[in-house]
Amino acid sequence: MRFLGASGQLGYGVPTPAFQAGLARNPHMIGCDMGSIDIGPHYLGSGQLATAPASTRRDLRKVLLGARQLDVPLVIGSAGSAGAAPHLQQTCDALRAIAKEEGLSFRLAIIHADMPRDVVKAAVKAGEVVPVDGMPDLTAYDIDAATHIVGQMGMSAMARALAADVDVVIAGRACDTAIFAGLATMAGFPTGLAVHMAKIIECASICCVPGGRDAILATLDRDGFELESMAPQRRATPTSVAAHSLYEQSDPFTVQEPEGRLDLSQATYTALDDRRTRVEGATWEDSVAPMVKIEGACSIGERAILMGGTADPRFIARHRQIFQELDDVVRDLVCEDGEQDYTLKWRFYGVDGVRMATAGEPQLPEEAFVMAECLAPTRERAAEVVRTAKQYLLHHGYPGRLSTGGNLAFPFTPPEVSIGPAYRFNVYHLMRAHDLDALFPVEVETV
Amino acid sequence: MLLQDIAKVIRSKNAGPRRLTLDVIFENDADYRRVLESGALNAGTVAKLYGMMPDEVAIIEYPLGRAIKIVLPRPIMAGDPGDRDVYGAQQHSPLLSIEI
Repeated sequence: MRFLGASGQLGYGVPTPAFQAGLARNPHMIGCDMGSIDIGPHYLGSGQLATAPASTRRDLRKVLLGARQLDVPLVIGSAGSAGAAPHLQQTCDALRAIAKEEGLSFRLAIIHADMPRDVVKAAVKAGEVVPVDGMPDLTAYDIDAATHIVGQMGMSAMARALAADVDVVIAGRACDTAIFAGLATMAGFPTGLAVHMAKIIECASICCVPGGRDAILATLDRDGFELESMAPQRRATPTSVAAHSLYEQSDPFTVQEPEGRLDLSQATYTALDDRRTRVEGATWEDSVAPMVKIEGACSIGERAILMGGTADPRFIARHRQIFQELDDVVRDLVCEDGEQDYTLKWRFYGVDGVRMATAGEPQLPEEAFVMAECLAPTRERAAEVVRTAKQYLLHHGYPGRLSTGGNLAFPFTPPEVSIGPAYRFNVYHLMRAHDLDALFPVEVETV
Repeated sequence: MLLQDIAKVIRSKNAGPRRLTLDVIFENDADYRRVLESGALNAGTVAKLYGMMPDEVAIIEYPLGRAIKIVLPRPIMAGDPGDRDVYGAQQHSPLLSIEI
C-alpha cells in the first residue's frame, strides 16, 4: 500500500514537481500535516491560522485536485495550525470555496478536537488529568480561562472518518501519526509499522539528506515499509531516516499515542539503493487506559513592543542599569500613585536577547538592538506604556553619557507596534479518555 | 578539539513547550564513538552551561542515528511572558565549544 506524505506544514508551500511525481506513483492516500504546538500559544488562543490565507488556499487546492484526480482519500491533520473549531471552520470554508471554483463534489468528513469544558472538569474532579512535563495541576479556573482547549486525536478517529466512505478528511488537532496510521491500520497492517511509517512521512522529505519539504512516498507491506523522496536530489538513507526519530522528540525510542505506545528499540534501517531505505521492526503496545494530550491557551492581555538600536559603547556597557531605571521612570509616569497593571520586559539583542541561559558575562558588541515588550490589560494601555518608554529611553540621562542628542536609532517611525492580544498555554495535560470516539466526533457532508 | 569541529549537526528544538531537546549528530561511527568515549558530553558539563542541576539533564545515546540527544527542561514555557525563543531553535550555542 502506497502513502504520499505531501506536506508537513500545509500552507507554507508544496513543491509541485515532487508532488506531481508522487501522484504519478498512484498512492492509495495523500496526507498532510497542517499544525503543531511548536508555533506557540497565539494561534490556539486566538483561533487564527499561522499560514497566510492565499498560500493556505493554494496548497489546499493543489492537494485536493491531486487526490480527486486519483480518486484517493486526502487526510489533513491539525487543520488550520492549531486544530480548534475556528481553525477547522476556516480550513473547511477555504476547501468548500475551492471545490466550488473547480466544480468538484466529494464527501467530506470533519473531525472535531475541541474538548468540552464540562468533560475536562469532570476528569479533573475524578483525578484523571495529569500534568505533562511539570505543568501545574489543572484547575477549573484554567479550564474556563482557556479560549480553546483541544485534544490530540489518534489514528482511531481517522479510521472512523474514513470508514464513513469519505473522500476528504479535515481533522482538528491530531497526533501527526494519525494522518497515515488511520488508513494503514484499517487496511490490516501491523500497528507498529503503520505508526512508525506515519511518524516519518508526516514531515515529508525531512528524513532525507538533504532534508526538505518535498513529497515522500512510503510503500507499506506486512513486514516493513520503504521510503523514497519524490525529489530526486533527496536521499532517504538508513542513518538519515533513523536520525529522524530524534527530531522534536525527547525520546528517540518511544512515541506515546492515545491508543498505545510505539517502540522503536528493535527498528532496523536498510539501504535498498542510495535513495531508498527499508524500515522494519517497530512494535506496538495497546493502551490499557487511553490518555489524550489536551492543550489550551488563555489570554494574558494585550502586547505592544518598542524597537530601536544603539551604537553607543557607554549605553551598551550600562544597559542593565538603564533598563532598570527606565522601569521606575515609566511606572511613576503611567501609574502615578496607582498599582502597576502591566509588565515591561527588555531584551537587548547582541548581548542576551536570545539565549535562555548564559555562562559568565557576555562580550559586549559595538551595536545592539533593543526591544521592549509590554503586556497590559488593554491595547491602549500597552501602547501608552511603550510610547512612554520610548520617549524616556531616548532621552534618559545616565552617568557618563556623551550622546545627549538621543540614546536610540529608529529605523523608521513609529517604532512602537501594537501586536494585539497575547496568549499563553495554560493547559498541557494528559486526560484519561473513557470514550475516544465521543471525544472526537465525526461530521460528514457532501461538498 | 571542540565539539563543533567534530559534529555534523548541533541543534536545539522544543520537545513539547516545556522541554528542549539538543541533538548532536556525527558523520561517522568513529566520530560518534570518540565523543561518547571522551565522556566530555556529560550531565554535569551540560548542566553548568545551561545553568541547571545535573539531575535535570538527560543524555540519551542513539547509535542508529550516530547521535547523542540531550533533554532539558525549559526555564520558561514556550510562549510564556519572558520567553526568548518560542521554537527553542537557538539554544544550541553553549554546546559548540565543549572541549573533546
